[in-house]
Amino acid sequence: MPENSFTNSPNSAEAPRRRLPNLFVLRLLVVAVVVGAFMRFFGVNIGSLGQGLAYSLVGVAVFITFRILRFPDLTVDGAFPIGGAVCAMLIVSGTSAELTLFVAFMVGALTGLITALITLFFRVEGLLASIIVITGAYTVTLRVMEARSNVPLLGERTILTPYQAPVRAWLVENFGRGMRRQSNNLVEIVVFALVVIVVLLFLTWFMHTELGLVLRAAGTNSQAVRAFGVNHHLMIILALMLANGLAGLSGSLAVQQLGFADVSLGFGIIVRGLAALLVGEVLLRPRSIGQQILSAAIGMVIFDVSRAWVFAALSLPTTDIRLVSALVVLSALAAPNLIDRWQEWRKKRRRSDA
Amino acid sequence: MLSLEHVSVTFHEGTPNEVRALQDLNLHVRAGDFITVIGANGAGKSTLFNVVAGVVPVDSGKIILNGRDVTNQPEYRRSLHIGRVFQNPILGTCPGLTIREHLSLAALRGKRLGLGSGVKHSNAAWFYELVKSVNLGLETRLDTDIALLSGGQRQAITLTMATMMKPKLLMLDEHTAALDPNAGAQVLELTVKLAEEYGLTVIMITHSMQQAIGVGNRLIMMNRGRVLFDVSGLERETMRYHDLIERFRSLQTGDELSDRTLMS
Repeated sequence: MPENSFTNSPNSAEAPRRRLPNLFVLRLLVVAVVVGAFMRFFGVNIGSLGQGLAYSLVGVAVFITFRILRFPDLTVDGAFPIGGAVCAMLIVSGTSAELTLFVAFMVGALTGLITALITLFFRVEGLLASIIVITGAYTVTLRVMEARSNVPLLGERTILTPYQAPVRAWLVENFGRGMRRQSNNLVEIVVFALVVIVVLLFLTWFMHTELGLVLRAAGTNSQAVRAFGVNHHLMIILALMLANGLAGLSGSLAVQQLGFADVSLGFGIIVRGLAALLVGEVLLRPRSIGQQILSAAIGMVIFDVSRAWVFAALSLPTTDIRLVSALVVLSALAAPNLIDRWQEWRKKRRRSDA
Repeated sequence: MLSLEHVSVTFHEGTPNEVRALQDLNLHVRAGDFITVIGANGAGKSTLFNVVAGVVPVDSGKIILNGRDVTNQPEYRRSLHIGRVFQNPILGTCPGLTIREHLSLAALRGKRLGLGSGVKHSNAAWFYELVKSVNLGLETRLDTDIALLSGGQRQAITLTMATMMKPKLLMLDEHTAALDPNAGAQVLELTVKLAEEYGLTVIMITHSMQQAIGVGNRLIMMNRGRVLFDVSGLERETMRYHDLIERFRSLQTGDELSDRTLMS
């Protein structure tokens, strides 16, 4: 009866674990309500939600490299604009927009592969290897865009186009002309959310397969997985390809949302990805692998919305975007640290009082 | 089963820090042997371990495992036939993964990795029995993060993982040294039990003379990268703790202070 005793065991040690998923869902709901309130009462453009969704897979990419693999990979800065550029060029040349998402993923994965090979064959440290790849990727992006720094998608069919006209007509009919301005934003949110959900479900499934399990183990202890007969170099290659593939895919979504591809699109993307990861972890405190993946994606949405709120609240010009990004990232990085120190300080004071 | 033929390893060759870790070492391990290896710090025990596992490449010589020359095989390939447990319990486990996930990982040893479920339901009964036989009450906590386990518990799980696929060779590098005496004794007892149950060939490095005499059927003492003596059978059985220390001392004439403090 061992089968039964493990499935139904009323063991006390397991009990606290079972409550956690509910808490996660609760935190998720609170975040959703707060984000909604920001949109409703603080005049934050709901466009920032669509933008956050388009970039959210970068957060997941950074989660895979920094958390699962524990490999400081910056290659997303190169994979993101390449994915976007390839997507834009294919769309302009008349390829189906849906297909370009896959191509962008593959191209991003190729960028990750190059970083992995540089690290493994030439023993160049991960950070340096990815900086080399980013530098080279800039030229490749320019080559892909035929030496233009910007490729507009004006009037081209993107994955959003087929839904824009019908949704606008339906909204105007049912909610009046006031909804006209928001209709494209709503299409973006729904379409991107669908793409992102499919990708997240796929990733969660993958992380529970044999390969995914070994991948997770390889990141925390490469020595142990080698002792189990696993070629951990292959795992590094796999994880970097997967992560940068996601960055490429994210780049193609961003390009279709913006309506143009730009060579400088990837600049500082890694910082946003890290911010998303940290924001998600701090606010949602995920436990299981599925929750962690979801948190990294949601973190990006929260990051973009809060950045948009800072802009709206201070009525800053759009040229200040980089500094605002840097400050939001800084506060996300500093917050857990400061909270810890504050608690430490309080504990100390209480001790000296007693 | 396992043969090391004229194996030499030198670290930092040609520098003032040159260390001749193994010098023309010859060792033949028979199937079913349970060998305990002792020796002072720097005697080459861990290098022997790492050379067999494929972590450290040899400068010269050959390593033959089960009739196949594995001298140039990478570590992960040799791991298909060699189970290992390290001194540090942290080295053998992956924090963040549960006990069940660890056992699933071990069950994948030697299999082609696919997209099937990583944690298989069909293994549940097997895992339960495996962990139950360890006798630490962990069988009801299979879904606990391994990072929450004590060193002894972790080491017991690592040992289970290293043996459950019945490897040709089990190598233990002072695997009880980092544990408290009680936990150490438990893990050692488990080691002997598993080795007998599965009929494993074992090489166990130890710093404890008591363990070296009390466990196994063959004893090897190493010094300066060589096998100093290799006893088995009657000679080993009649050997006493004090004889061993006497021999250890006599062979260590004028050696470092650390060796003597170790024995006192």
